[in-house]
Amino acid sequence: MGASGKATPTSNPSQRVKVYRLTDDGKWDDQGTGHVIVDYFKRTEELGLIVIDEEDNETMLVHQISSNEIYRRQEDTIISWRDSKISTDLALSFQEPVGCSYIWDQIIGIQRDLQFNTIGNDRVHGANTELRKLPSVELSTLPVILKNLLDCGIVNHMQVAELILQDKDFFPRLLDIFQMCEDLEDMDNLYIISKLVKTIIFLNSPRIFEKVFGDEFIMDIIGALEYDAEFPKVQSHRDFLKKHVIFKEAIPIKRSILLSKIHQTYRINYIKDVILPRALDEGTMTSLNSIINSNNATVVSSLKDDTSFIHDLFTKMKSSSTSAESKKMLVFFLQEFCSLGKSLPLVHQLRLYRDFASEGAFDVITEALLSYDKKLISAGTDILILFLGQDPNLLRTYITQQNGLSLFGLLVKGVGEDTHCQFLEIIRILLDSCAPSITYQRDAIVEIFYESHLDQLIEIINSGCTSENTDLDSKFSLSDGKVGHNTIKPEIMLNICELLCFCVLRHPYKIRGKFLPNNILKKVMYLIRRREKYLKVSAVRFMRTIISCKDEQLFQHIVTNNLLKPVIDSFVSNGNNYNMLHSGVLDLLEYIRKVSIKTLIKYIVETFWDQLSKFEKLETVHGLKIRYDQSLEAYNTKPINGLVESRKHTREGGLEKEEEDYFNADSDEDSVSAVSTDKLKHYPKPNLSNGRTSGLVDYDDDDGYNPPQKKIESSIENNIVARPLSKRKSVSIKDTNAANLEIKKKGKLNSHKIKSAVAVAACTTRRQIDSHGKIKLPLPPDISAVNKRSVQKSDACCSDGMPSNADIKYSISDEGPPLEDVSNDTPSTMHNAADIKNRGKDEVSPSLCEIPNVADSTLSSSGEEGSSNHVKDDLLSETAIADDIGNSCHEKASPIKPTVIEIIHSDSENEEPSLLPSSEVSIRDAKITNSELYPVR
Amino acid sequence: MSLDLDVQIEQLKRCEPLTEAEVKALCLKAMEILVEESNVQRVDAPVTICGDIHGQFYDMKELFKVGGDCPKTNYLFLGDFVDRGFYSVETFLLLLALKVRYPDRITLIRGNHESRQITQVYGFYDECLRKYGSVNVWRYCTDIFDYLSLSALIDNRVFSVHGGLSPNINTLDQIRIIDRKQEVPHDGGMCDLLWSDPEDVVDGWGISPRGAGFLFGGNVVSSFNRVNNIDYICRAHQLVMEGYKWMFNNQIVTVWSAPNYCYRCGNVAAILELDDDLNKRFRVFDAAPQESRGVPAKKPAPDYFL
Repeated sequence: MGASGKATPTSNPSQRVKVYRLTDDGKWDDQGTGHVIVDYFKRTEELGLIVIDEEDNETMLVHQISSNEIYRRQEDTIISWRDSKISTDLALSFQEPVGCSYIWDQIIGIQRDLQFNTIGNDRVHGANTELRKLPSVELSTLPVILKNLLDCGIVNHMQVAELILQDKDFFPRLLDIFQMCEDLEDMDNLYIISKLVKTIIFLNSPRIFEKVFGDEFIMDIIGALEYDAEFPKVQSHRDFLKKHVIFKEAIPIKRSILLSKIHQTYRINYIKDVILPRALDEGTMTSLNSIINSNNATVVSSLKDDTSFIHDLFTKMKSSSTSAESKKMLVFFLQEFCSLGKSLPLVHQLRLYRDFASEGAFDVITEALLSYDKKLISAGTDILILFLGQDPNLLRTYITQQNGLSLFGLLVKGVGEDTHCQFLEIIRILLDSCAPSITYQRDAIVEIFYESHLDQLIEIINSGCTSENTDLDSKFSLSDGKVGHNTIKPEIMLNICELLCFCVLRHPYKIRGKFLPNNILKKVMYLIRRREKYLKVSAVRFMRTIISCKDEQLFQHIVTNNLLKPVIDSFVSNGNNYNMLHSGVLDLLEYIRKVSIKTLIKYIVETFWDQLSKFEKLETVHGLKIRYDQSLEAYNTKPINGLVESRKHTREGGLEKEEEDYFNADSDEDSVSAVSTDKLKHYPKPNLSNGRTSGLVDYDDDDGYNPPQKKIESSIENNIVARPLSKRKSVSIKDTNAANLEIKKKGKLNSHKIKSAVAVAACTTRRQIDSHGKIKLPLPPDISAVNKRSVQKSDACCSDGMPSNADIKYSISDEGPPLEDVSNDTPSTMHNAADIKNRGKDEVSPSLCEIPNVADSTLSSSGEEGSSNHVKDDLLSETAIADDIGNSCHEKASPIKPTVIEIIHSDSENEEPSLLPSSEVSIRDAKITNSELYPVR
Repeated sequence: MSLDLDVQIEQLKRCEPLTEAEVKALCLKAMEILVEESNVQRVDAPVTICGDIHGQFYDMKELFKVGGDCPKTNYLFLGDFVDRGFYSVETFLLLLALKVRYPDRITLIRGNHESRQITQVYGFYDECLRKYGSVNVWRYCTDIFDYLSLSALIDNRVFSVHGGLSPNINTLDQIRIIDRKQEVPHDGGMCDLLWSDPEDVVDGWGISPRGAGFLFGGNVVSSFNRVNNIDYICRAHQLVMEGYKWMFNNQIVTVWSAPNYCYRCGNVAAILELDDDLNKRFRVFDAAPQESRGVPAKKPAPDYFL
């Protein structure tokens, strides 16, 4: 595809493949190496795959593409299928993923066309037979050609495309006529030509795209599209592209073929996003996206493999003789480069980022962040986020080295100065402990953060809160005068407070070591003095977060320092205004009541009841009092339990002194003391949806605190062994007792919850699933589309918007071996695939099981919520609409738990009479709705 | 200040987005206002209730033509301002600017699309990236999503929410104690309010095919309405071809305000006008004609390296 017109397949390394055949004893037999093309067979209208041997130019393989065959794409470079005519399993292993994508898209396109043919044959056959020939292109024949094209219907797209391609003069003539009409300002014909060009693009033929998007025609094609009758005015796209669009070159690119691809990509993007966005149908959009994607991949991969280019780039960026202006350009270039790197297959992406890191990219970024130019800072930040999305440890490793410290310092300082809103995100990713394996680098960074930077942030809160209400705490004095309170913007304090909540959740073991000794809680609570209510609310939230860590010493600290006083005071003075402060405080009190934190209940009721009593009509406040009274009773009647309790504490944490005055009572299983204090370090971290604002509201219909992990445990309990690929730490089996209990209590909602937990494991490989019995894929409608692109897209949401390290690591280990040693590992996978296929269509479609892998390369780029997830939009939504319509107009919005994969043991299958459609149904549905969408257009 | 804001509102009404700095400032102001709102925000009649908009800016302008301008008309929007349409940024910012300018004349509650995860998949994220070249605006907006109220109660008689009910929530007081400042969770009361759907064939509670929230039957609605002493529930969240749809003997109504949803569903849209005495009047409207929509605002950056 590209400027040079139709590429000669034999010369294109991207179409170099090895052919494998599955022997009777289940081994993959290497049939040789050649080049693959998709072409018409001689004297027939059938399209097929043809592989020509690279040594003797003999035809090695001929396979007619049929609509019944199930083709599978594995990893990035393998396409396999079972050829039903010769009853043999075949596989092509591509040298380059780009070639694989290209052939894959063609196969899928042909299959789709064939399917339409079979569906629509009867209905439209009449129209079909008439169109044997198009008139040659003349001004006078334009309306006839247009009519032919419009009438042919989707069924005959292929055929019409073929007719157009057969006429070598079609496009040259058409565009000559266009220029002539434009000169004559012949508007009527210009509108016809515009419509004609649009219709031709919607034929969605790869070979026509090759032609019309080539250097020779593309500008005229765009010109023709300017005369869209649907717009009141003639558009000026060419003018924009020629005069306003600037192609910038930071380091000159010498190869003209690359340059041509770069321009082509921009123009196709422009056609897609600016000229035709409303008119494009899903299929054509997919094709355009895949051309863009594969162009990007080609460009990026040839540049990255050009060692002298990369070397030049970094030398220039690091050189002191380079002017600031060109350095800025180079950083912008690097940003685009990294961002387009997402078009590459995952391994290559990773390699790209590693290479850049070792070339000194982080030094360059540090310099960019030091600048005063907002755009430059923004570009540097973007690059960092892209790196973090790929592999946070690259940056962590850099920071733990001596010269990297300044970058981290810069980031933390930036948070305090509101330099860029993404800094917070970067720090959060760096400190995040949800990576699949705890890494040395992360631990090191966490230490650096707590040792050197936490105080700095606390100090900012301090200085922002003091002078407003100094009367509240006269003992406190501004320790560092240089940061005046006036300069601290409230949003900065808000950000810091959120970061602190995050820290508490991720590193609860730091509470004792760092938060308590430094009186950090008290300092954060100063935020309540601020006028801004959202700061008050954030302080309450911090308190709520910290209390959820359930540590007795911490509670004592709160009591001793009377830290709930500002919370209660603000609640009381807020009165009966049902605002977020009201809800936040009630949520906090409700939590204390439900989890039954005796120390705090006693403290609250005994200290603040005078104030709180007027709120007793509120269930929460009333309930707190009841808990208090009950405990008091229990204390009087059950001293033995108290003794047991205190022994436990002595054994586990050694808090015996405080035990004396403890509010001992019958400890239900949720009571604080059940969490031994020295176990606190290993306390399962609360499950965060996105790292910033977790579901702290976690109580359900029962009376316990249920960290969401337990739901995962409960899935273990159900013999579901799926490897959770989310960022969450995997949960140890030893906690299953708790899970047991959980299950018993959960009652009716239980099954639902389990599913949601297992959704986390959406990305398990098929092999794993195979070994655990049957899989059901009740894919939500958006996902169930067969369309490959939309599947990728939905996978983006399946990973909860944050495909993690785990995804990356995992797919690497699963990555197919390169061309040379395909015979080792992958064939077994292929064999499985063949197996599944042989089991018949009632089984889950294997290709769907593989979705996560297929999609990985697109997804990996999206790190935490903030890093960019570049899967193109629109496609999925359209599929979703198809479902909206198809399902009695219910708006099937995206699911939060998108791929709910139920993994059910064969013996327990009957226990799940859910309303969820089984995978078979949803897949079939999707096919139908998908095809229904086409006739609409 | 309000002068600036008026200028910005005029600009947004022309479908011209604000600058990044303006968005940031606007969101901060909105935060101060929204933090004062209850999870069950009290709304006084007369009020006009609107369902999903989904970034269909020009269709929202039709809505204002039919329903009257804000602040003259008092509005309640039931969420799902963003995603899917081409103008999520302008749509949400206009509503937010109106909220800041006329806090008592427009109420915005949260829909399931007002979430970080969902917007990354369904278009708002990409749109912000495309229009601003960075994700900062997306971040400001999604941060403000966390402050949006979860439901509204009109004159103590009509309960309004984006999705529906939750098995965890029997009374309005239970909604009031949710700490809503968080990403929409995967389950629990807050999630269900934004995700659930009423369903004829379900008795009690059913598992939702959406993968979040529940399906709930008529008996659930009756008992909720009785317990909380309300007349009916007004919600959005599901496309209805006629713009609105009553269910369960007029105990719950779905209002849908995105005509020709996604520019191709062919549906009409509706808003529900309640007068001083809560008399109902549905106003049905069509999509904006093509001419009034202008050129799609999806321009790519005018310069490129690669």
